[in-house]
This record gives sequence, structure tokens and C-alpha cells, in this order.
Amino acid sequence: MYQYNAFDQRFVEERVEQYRDQTRRYLAGELTDDQFLQLRLRNGLYIQRLAPMLRIAVPYGLLTAIQLRALAEITRTYDKGYAHLSTRQNVQINWPELQVVPDILADLARVQMHCIQTSGSCIRNITTDQFAGVAADEIVDPRPYCELMRQWSTYHPEFDWLPRKFKIAVNAAQADRAAVHVHDIGINIRAGDDGRPRFDFLVGGGLGRTPVIGSLIREGLPEQHLLTYLEAILRVYNRYGRRDNKYKARIKILVRAMTPEKFRAQVDAEWEHLRDGPSTVPDEEIERIKACFVPHAYDDLDDETNLLARQRLADPAFNAWMRNNVAAHQRPGYAIVTLSTKATGVPPGDVTDEQMDAVADFAERFGFGEIRISHEQNFILPDVPQRHLKSVYDLACEQALGQANAGLLTDMICCPGGDFCSLANAKSIPIAEAIQRRFDDYDYLHDLGPLDINISGCMNACGHHHVGHIGILGVDKRGDEFYQISVGGNQASDASLGRILGPSFKRDDVPGVIEKILAVYVDNRLDGEPFLHTVRRIGIEPFKTHVYGVDQPTQMRRAG
Amino acid sequence: MSADSCLVRDGRIVEDDWTLVLEGDAAPGIIAPLPAWQRNPEGAGVWVEGDAEVEEIGPLLATAPLVAVRFPAIVDGRGLSLGALLRSRYGFDGELRAFGDIIPDITEYMHRCGFNAFVLPNREQAEVAIACIERMSDHYQASVREPRPPFQEPTTRRP
Repeated sequence: MYQYNAFDQRFVEERVEQYRDQTRRYLAGELTDDQFLQLRLRNGLYIQRLAPMLRIAVPYGLLTAIQLRALAEITRTYDKGYAHLSTRQNVQINWPELQVVPDILADLARVQMHCIQTSGSCIRNITTDQFAGVAADEIVDPRPYCELMRQWSTYHPEFDWLPRKFKIAVNAAQADRAAVHVHDIGINIRAGDDGRPRFDFLVGGGLGRTPVIGSLIREGLPEQHLLTYLEAILRVYNRYGRRDNKYKARIKILVRAMTPEKFRAQVDAEWEHLRDGPSTVPDEEIERIKACFVPHAYDDLDDETNLLARQRLADPAFNAWMRNNVAAHQRPGYAIVTLSTKATGVPPGDVTDEQMDAVADFAERFGFGEIRISHEQNFILPDVPQRHLKSVYDLACEQALGQANAGLLTDMICCPGGDFCSLANAKSIPIAEAIQRRFDDYDYLHDLGPLDINISGCMNACGHHHVGHIGILGVDKRGDEFYQISVGGNQASDASLGRILGPSFKRDDVPGVIEKILAVYVDNRLDGEPFLHTVRRIGIEPFKTHVYGVDQPTQMRRAG
Repeated sequence: MSADSCLVRDGRIVEDDWTLVLEGDAAPGIIAPLPAWQRNPEGAGVWVEGDAEVEEIGPLLATAPLVAVRFPAIVDGRGLSLGALLRSRYGFDGELRAFGDIIPDITEYMHRCGFNAFVLPNREQAEVAIACIERMSDHYQASVREPRPPFQEPTTRRP
């Protein structure tokens, strides 16, 4: 975990005072609504449909128990005792009053937190693998590089007024858990022949109205060039990205208009001016940051294969949880636990103050006081000794955090939607809830296997619907809320964008449509074939015909 | 420029000794558009849009006593790249002035990108701008003002 030094601490404290002064000037009428809008956005404050929403930065999803307790306390003091885990690994609170936001920022600064650049047309929170540093399939620990880029992007003199928001994601494991193909910049870190890390850059990926998979423009960049190369990309984008139409302002539109080859050439030409310049990162700086991420003082443990086998046999619910929510750790005798926030009837990602305090306690009792937030809107306990897994499960169940659905259908990604967001065309949370109610049998869910359902309330795609195996998008039809459904999207290393099935559906029809899609899958899957592979093999036609009711053979087969 | 507008130069409010003309000819004491300035640069300043191609204008402007960059909206950061490149890549060392849609809080970014003069809408905002420029003690990156990032100066990075 990165620890602030005096420089970092002074920085966030001065930023709080700067924002306090901006708020004061706004309330005194010295800044207009439009002027203050730009300043508050760069401090994470939106004015939403019902109330302001404050987005708190959780750099690359990493939190300490102390920070999580501070967040719980903030929701009690300034809000309604709950928070929302976002798909960018951040935390949002929905009811803060504009005039107390500077006080919230001051409370955050005391625990080395802030809201800097969590909204606005600037470089946003850099995201990575929620299992970074502990994943068994990790190649390089991405966290020191995320921190290096976080510092570089914080309050950058030239790149805080970009054409549009800018999102960077980093993956450094075999399985891509960071969705690097659908970010403005996606970075894959791998080991070079000399054992030093190498950086591959994808640019121009993204969701929203024009979903695109990123283009590879640089392979094998050594670590000392990371910041100068980023500067070259951002400078080309800042100068040439469109500013006349906000829907065409993301870097993906620029890359497509220029072609990836010409974009790459332009970046390379810019980089020639910068490479080996003063922003080349010295080894000492990389080592300084890496020193914050040294492995914890792990005990020498053995894997608890027999104990866990007995416990799983004795408790089918625990067995299901082990299967879905527990991932392999780098160290023997340890495991990575996903605490699912996706309980039926609760908006995905919403957590209460009590749950936050409990998770902070778990992290200290069963780990080294660290917690992660995943972009699937769940909590991660990264260092649980295997012998304590059953205790963690039992305690998590008491807090409604023991759902055994990580990675399954009911572990949906969902934006706040029309209940909260002024951009949304339609509500998304009731859709998630209706699907959870329809599919509450864990055995059936497990039988379906890995299945991402992603729900966005509008084309801005905060719920990442394009890369859900099943994607649901809220659309407005003459003032009524309708939902367009796609299949075949994927966020992992073999990323793909979903294809729309056809005309959209009324809200009440959505769970039934999902049921029909799953019926086609179950009918057609080969042994052990996951949903996504079946879709890729048979195409979307069988889904289309069954969902829209013209596929007699499938229906007859099901009836038989 | 409105009658109330107020110039901050090198951290102080000063009387503007230049006259900016959006259209018209260049002359001593006049800040003229680029084509007019090119015809008659003697003693004149020049203004350009924030999206001007620095590769084209950079070599031309090196001898100008003053370059003013227009910011059409507070959200438009193109002039920041232009200013930074004029200073760092083309060696421009005259007055670099920002004008257009400017609020005090933006001047800090402009200052770090090499601007040393700012046209604010009125005297009150000019005073706030002077405070804004100096509000943060340190920054994480290199800039025109601090060409070496803090990680090149180890003593400042370690408590």
C-alpha cells in the first residue's frame, strides 16, 4: 500500500483548502454555476437528479482498514449511512450537501484520500486487477506503476482540460481482470527477456455510444519511459481530439479518424522530443514506490486441502461460495476472497456503514488490513489464511456479504441508473433486482457457469453493457423506459463487443428474455462450454429467433 | 476586451501597455492577428488561437516581444499545450499572455505551462488569480516552471 510522505500529505491538504476557497467563492456569487461546475467536477462532485453525488478516489481499488472505517464514518456524519462501489473501483456517496464537501475532503485527507479528478474531462482514477500483488497468475505487480502514473496524472498542468474524460487501466496477469481493451489507454505489463517489465500500450478502446476495442500502438516499452510515452499520447490527444461534439471527443474517435497507424506515428514523433528527458523515471523512484508494495509478512503455511474438503462436504452453501468467490493466492495456505455486494433486493455495489466497518474488521483479523474494490463492485479480502475461510464465510453471511455469486449471472455490473443519475434514460437497479429475484437458485447459477450481465441506464455505458456476456441498455422510447439486449460481449483478454438482439423490451419483460437466452444456451452448449463460447460458436441467430418467438424447433425441444 | 478587464503580469496587476486588435494591422504597441503581424512585425505583438499548429508558428514567433493565446472556453486546454511547446520547444522568451474565457482558477495551469500574463475580466478576479497561482507548494510533474520533476530531486520527495 502506498504511504503518503510529507510531500503527498501537503499536496492533498492544500488541495482541500483550494477547493474550500472555490466553494466559498461560488456560494458568495463570485463564480457562476458553469464556472464552478468545472471546478467541482475536478473534485468529484456532481449535482445529480436528487442530490449531489461525491465520488471518492480509491486509487486502483486499494484501501486500508483505516480508510474503509473513515469512509463508513463519513457516510454516517454527512450522508445516509451507505455508499456505492463504482465500476471504476471508486466509492460514491449520494447525499452530501455542497457546502460540507470541503469538510468531507478534509476528513479524507486525514486518511490519505481525496476526490481529485474523479470526474471532469481529465485523467481519471487509474484502475487495475483487483487481485494485484496476490494473484497466482500475476506476471508483474502492477501497483507501483499505477501509483507512479497516479502521481504523474494528478493535477497535470497541461492535461486537466482534455476534450473528454480519460481512463487508463493496467493489467499484469495472465487473465485480464482490468478490461484493458476497452479503455482510452490500456496497458499490458509483461516480463521482458531480461526479466524487467515491459509495457504494451493499447489506445482508443472504449464503451459509450461508439464501443471500440483498443489498438496496439507500442510494444515492449521499458519502465523508465512510461511517463514520457504517456505524455506523448496525452499531448496528441489534447491538441487534436475533437472539442466540437462531446459524443465524438473521446480518444477512440481521434484514433479511428487518424487511423491507428497515423496516430502511432504522431505519438512517436512527439515522443522523440521527450524520451530520455527529465521525466524519464530513475530507478530510485521506481524502487521508492515499489518499497511501499513489498509482500506482507506471510506465515509459512501449507494448503489446507483436507480441512477445506471436509468443510465443503459438510456445508453445500460454503461449497458454492468456495467455488465461486475464492481465488488462488500466490502463497501456499492463503486465498483471495470476493465478498459479493450483490444480494437480492440491494442495488449492486451499495454497502452500508455497518458492512464497511465489518469488512475493515475482517481485513485486520484475516489479513494485513488491506481491502480491494473490484470493478465488478465487490469487496476483496486479499490475504485470508485458508484455515479461516469458513469463519470469514460465516461472518460475511451475517453481514449479507456471503452471496456465492461472484462471476455468476447475479453478480451483475450495474450503474446507478435513472434512480440517481440525471443522464440516464432508464432505471437500471430495478432490472438488476428483478433478475436477481428470478435467478436465486445457486445450483442453477453454478450450472450456468461464468456469466457477466452488465446493465447501463444510458449510452454512456457506466455499467459496461457492451462487454457483458449479456448486456442490457436502458433506452428512451417516446418517454417510456425500454431495454435493448445484446449477447456475446466480453471484457477479458479476448475482448469482444456484444451484438444487439433486436428491438428493445419493456422492463417487466427483461427477466423472461434473459431466461429465454439462457434456455438457448443450455440447449446448445457442448460439455462444459461457457456461455460466451456457445454464443461465439452458434452466433446470435438462435438467440434472436427464440427471444422474438419464431424459433419453433427450440421451443418444441424445450417443451419435449 | 471589456473596459473592466485587468492584466496580471509576473504576479502583479499592471496597466496594460499593449492594445489587442482582433482584426486590423500590426503596429508598435499593437497585438495583431498572425497574418497582420507577419506583414509588419516591427514593435508589434501577435495573437493566435489555442489550436494553432505550433510546428508552423513556433519558428516564426521566436522573435516576437509578445504572444497572446486565445482561450475560447475555460474547458479548452489546447492553449496549454501550445504555450508549453512555445516555451519549451521553440525557446520563446517574450511575454506569453492568455486571454479569452479565463477564470482565476485556470491561471495556475497556464502559469505552469509558461504563461506569465493573464487578462482577467475585472480587478477582483485578477487579485484572486494572483492568489490561485501560488496556492499549491509543489506539483508531481515537470512543467515549464519546474522542468525537472520532483523525483529528480530526491530530497524533496523523501520526508
